[in-house]
Amino acid sequence: MGERDSCTDRPVAVLGAGNWGTTLAHLAASNGRPVLLWTRDPRQREEINSARSNSRGVPGLVLARGVRAVTDLGEALARPVLVIVAIPSQAFREVCRAAGELLAPEHLVVHATKGLERSTHRRMTEVLLEETCVRQIGVLSGPNIAAEIAAGKPAGTVVTSHFPRVVRECRRALSSPRLMVFAGDDIAGVELAGAFKNVVAIAAGIAAEMQVGENAKALLLTRGLAEMARLGTALGARPLTFAGLAGVGDLAVTCASAQSRNNRVGRALARGEALPDILRQLGMVAEGVDAAASAHELALAHSVDVPLMDQVFRVLYEGRSPSASLDELMRLWAGHDVGASAGRSRASLLG
Amino acid sequence: MRCRWAGAQADDAEVARAVVDRIVAHVLAGNPRDAAPAVHEVLGEALFHERSRLEHASGQRADADREFWAGVARALRHAGAERSAKLLREVVARYAGEIRGHFDARVYAVATRALPVSLSALLNGLSPAHLVAHAGDLPNLEENVVLEGEIDTLRALARVGTIILAPTHSSNLDSLLLGFAIYRMGLPPFSYGAGLNLFTNPMTSFFMHHLGAYTVDRSKTDPLYRATLKEFATVLLEHGRHNLFFPGGTRSRSGEVETHLKKGLLGTGVVAFKNNLRAGAERPRVFVVPATATYPLVLEARSLVADFLEKTGRGLYLPAVDEFNLLHRWIDFLRGLLRLRLRIRLVIGKPLDPFGNDVDAEGVSRDGRGRPVDPARYLLVDGAIGDDPERDAEYTCGLVPAVLRAYRADTVALPTAILAFAVFERLRRSAPRLDLYRLLRSPSDELTLPVAEVASDVERLLGDLRALARDGRIRVSDEAADAATVVRRGLETFGTYHPVPVIERSADNLRVGDANLVFFYRNRLEGYGLDGSRPALPPDHSAHRV
Repeated sequence: MGERDSCTDRPVAVLGAGNWGTTLAHLAASNGRPVLLWTRDPRQREEINSARSNSRGVPGLVLARGVRAVTDLGEALARPVLVIVAIPSQAFREVCRAAGELLAPEHLVVHATKGLERSTHRRMTEVLLEETCVRQIGVLSGPNIAAEIAAGKPAGTVVTSHFPRVVRECRRALSSPRLMVFAGDDIAGVELAGAFKNVVAIAAGIAAEMQVGENAKALLLTRGLAEMARLGTALGARPLTFAGLAGVGDLAVTCASAQSRNNRVGRALARGEALPDILRQLGMVAEGVDAAASAHELALAHSVDVPLMDQVFRVLYEGRSPSASLDELMRLWAGHDVGASAGRSRASLLG
Repeated sequence: MRCRWAGAQADDAEVARAVVDRIVAHVLAGNPRDAAPAVHEVLGEALFHERSRLEHASGQRADADREFWAGVARALRHAGAERSAKLLREVVARYAGEIRGHFDARVYAVATRALPVSLSALLNGLSPAHLVAHAGDLPNLEENVVLEGEIDTLRALARVGTIILAPTHSSNLDSLLLGFAIYRMGLPPFSYGAGLNLFTNPMTSFFMHHLGAYTVDRSKTDPLYRATLKEFATVLLEHGRHNLFFPGGTRSRSGEVETHLKKGLLGTGVVAFKNNLRAGAERPRVFVVPATATYPLVLEARSLVADFLEKTGRGLYLPAVDEFNLLHRWIDFLRGLLRLRLRIRLVIGKPLDPFGNDVDAEGVSRDGRGRPVDPARYLLVDGAIGDDPERDAEYTCGLVPAVLRAYRADTVALPTAILAFAVFERLRRSAPRLDLYRLLRSPSDELTLPVAEVASDVERLLGDLRALARDGRIRVSDEAADAATVVRRGLETFGTYHPVPVIERSADNLRVGDANLVFFYRNRLEGYGLDGSRPALPPDHSAHRV
C-alpha cells in the first residue's frame, strides 16, 4: 500500500482562490503537481491564467506554472484525487453541496477554513460529511500567514485526519524545505482552535490599538487560549491540541501580526469605527466576527465560562465600547491561573 | 457461485479451514508496516494471556486448556521456525474449533426451518415435561412481540447481499427474540456469535446449539483469539451467511440504550465486502441493519442494575445471582407477559452500508443528500481495490454513530420507562444533596410521592417525548395515550414480575418498592435531553466521527 498511491504527477484541486487557496495552489504547483484552482470569478481566472498573478488574493505573487484556474467545478474535480477546500465558512456548505454532485467515495478532501457555520455552529468537516459522500477527509491548519508562505519564508502547518493516506497525500503535495507539514488526528480540536483563535485575535487587535502594553497582551493571549481550550474541550476537542501548531501556534501569529484580518478588525473597533464600515473596507472575510457569535452561543449552551470571548461578542454585537469591556474583564478575571479550578473562576467568585 | 444454503454442510469445515489458513498466513507474513512479529512472539503473547485467564478459571474445560497450554509452552522452548509455525497452526485451529463449537450446518438448516412459533413450544422442546407442568400457560410470541420498522427492506436486501443484523442488547432473552423475529420475517437463518454463558444456560443452550450459533468467549483476551473470531465472522459473511451480533458487546447494565459499540465484529462488514469484490463474488454487498428491542420489563433487571451500581459505586453494592440462570424467574417473567398482554417491541432500523450510508430497498447506497453512491469506490486506491486496514477501521468508526442514532430513534417509550423517569427525577429534585447511592438507599417511607404530582410530571414528559417523536428521535408507545394511562399501566406492569412491586400505589401516594429498578427503567430514557437527563445529539448531526 502507500507505495502505489498516486503518482506524483496527479493533479490536485484547490477550491477557492482567496489568499490561502491561491497560496496552497502555488505550493503544490511548486512541488511539480498540476493544480486546478477553482474560482467563481472569470476575471480572476483570466488574470491567473494569463498574467500568472492573483492581485486580489496574494498581491505580488508570481504563480508557479502548474496552476491553472477554472470556473467550472466539474473541470476542477474531474481528475484529481486530492481536493483542498479553502472557502470562507459561511459559503462552505454551498460549495460543498455543488461539489457533492461530482465528488466520489475515493476522493480525499482536506479543508483549510478556520470558522464555524454561523447558523448551525457546525465544523467544516461536519458540513463536508453532510453534503458529500466523501469519508476520507481532513483539515489543514496552523500559523500560516499566506503572504509569508507565498514569499518562501519558513513555516510549519499541520494536517489532521484519521486516515493516514490523507496525511500522506497532503504532505506529498505541500511539504517542501520551506514548509514542514506535521500530522495530527484531533479533527474537532484543530477546527475549534482555528475558529476560536480568530475571536481572541480581535481582542488582541483592540488591545494593540489601545496601547495597553505587552503585559496586558500576554495576559490576554494566555487567558484567551485557556478559554479556547475550555470551550473546545466541552465540544469534544482534546486539550493538548490547543498547545500545538493549530492552537497556541496559530493564536500567537494571529495576535502578533498586524496583517491578520481579525487583528485589523480589532484595531479598527478600538478606534471607534463601526463594524459594517470596517468589514467593507477590509474587502475580505474576517472569520472572527461570525466565530464570536458562535462561540458566545456555544458557551451558553454548554455552560462554559468564556469572559474574554464574551466581551468580544459584546463589542461586536451589542455596541459596548472596548474600554468598558476591558474594565469589565479586569474585574472578572481573578480566579485560578491553571489547574483544576482554572475553569471555574467566575463560579467560585460568585460562590 | 455456490448455492448459499444447500451447500452449507460442505461449507462448514471449509469455513474453519479458511480461517486457520488466513490467520496463519497473516502471522507468518508479518505486518508489512512494522517489523514482522516473530511467530514466537505471537505464541508467547497467547501463552501469557491464556495463563492469566486460567489462573481464575475452574472446571473441565479449564483443566483441558491448562494441559494444552503447558504442552505449547514445553514445545515452544525448543522449537525452530518450522515447529513453531506448526504450533501456531495448532493454536489457531484450537481457537477456531472452540468458536465453531457445536455449530453443525445440517442441524442448523433443519432446526431453523422447523423453528417453533411459540415460546411455550420451544420450552417444551428443550426441557423435561415437569418443567412445563410447573410453568402452566406460557405466552405465544405472536401476541407478545411486535415486529415493526424496515422489515420489507431487510427482506429485500437479504436477497441481494449479506446481512449483519446489529441489535441492542438488554437481556439474554434478546437471542430468543431475534431468533423468533428472523424466523417470523421469513429470512433464512443467521449465524450468531453468542457468549459462552448462553451455551451453559439450560434455558438457552438448546437454541444456541441449533440456531447457527458460534461461541464467543469474552474472557479470552489473547489478540490471536480475537483475530480468529473476527476472521471467522468475516469468512461466514463471505460465504453469504447472514450474521447477527450485538455490537454493544454485553447486556446494558444501567438499562440505558447503548452509547458505545465494539468495532471489532462490526468491522467485519467492510473487510468481507472488500474480499468479495476481489474474489469477484456475485453478491458482494454487505448491509448492516440495526435492530432495537424494548421490553416493558427486563428479565434480569435486578442482576444487571446491581452489577452496574457495584461497578460504578466501587463496591458499595454486591452483585446478585444472575436471574438469567434461574428457571423460576423465566417462568414468572413469561407469565407476567401473558397476564398483562405486555408486548416486547422489536424495531428493524434503516439499513446501512459498511461506510455508514443509508441503503434503500434496491440495495443502493445513498449519501446524506440522497444521491446514489457506489460503495466499492471507498476502497479504491489508484483505480484498484487497495488494502489499508487503518482506513477500513476508520470507516467502521464512521458507521458507529449511525447505528447508535438508529438505536435511540427506534427505542419505544413504554409506560414503565416513562413512569420510572418521572418518579426518579422527582425524587432526585426533592433531595438535591444526596448522591445517587444515598438516594437509592433512602428508607422507603422517604421514597413516597403524591400521585397527582407524578401524573403532572408524566404529562409534561409525554409532551416532550411526542415532540421528539415528531422529529423521528424516539417512538412513543400507543399505550402512552395520556398521563393517567401511563401511570395505571406502569403500576400494573411494575406489580407483576419483580419480587417487590417496583412502584406501587397506596391511597394518594406512590411508594417506591425497589429504587434500583426505578433507576434502571428510568435510564431507558437517558440521553434524549429530557429534563434531568443528558443532552441529546442534534437530530441531523453528522453521522460520522470527525
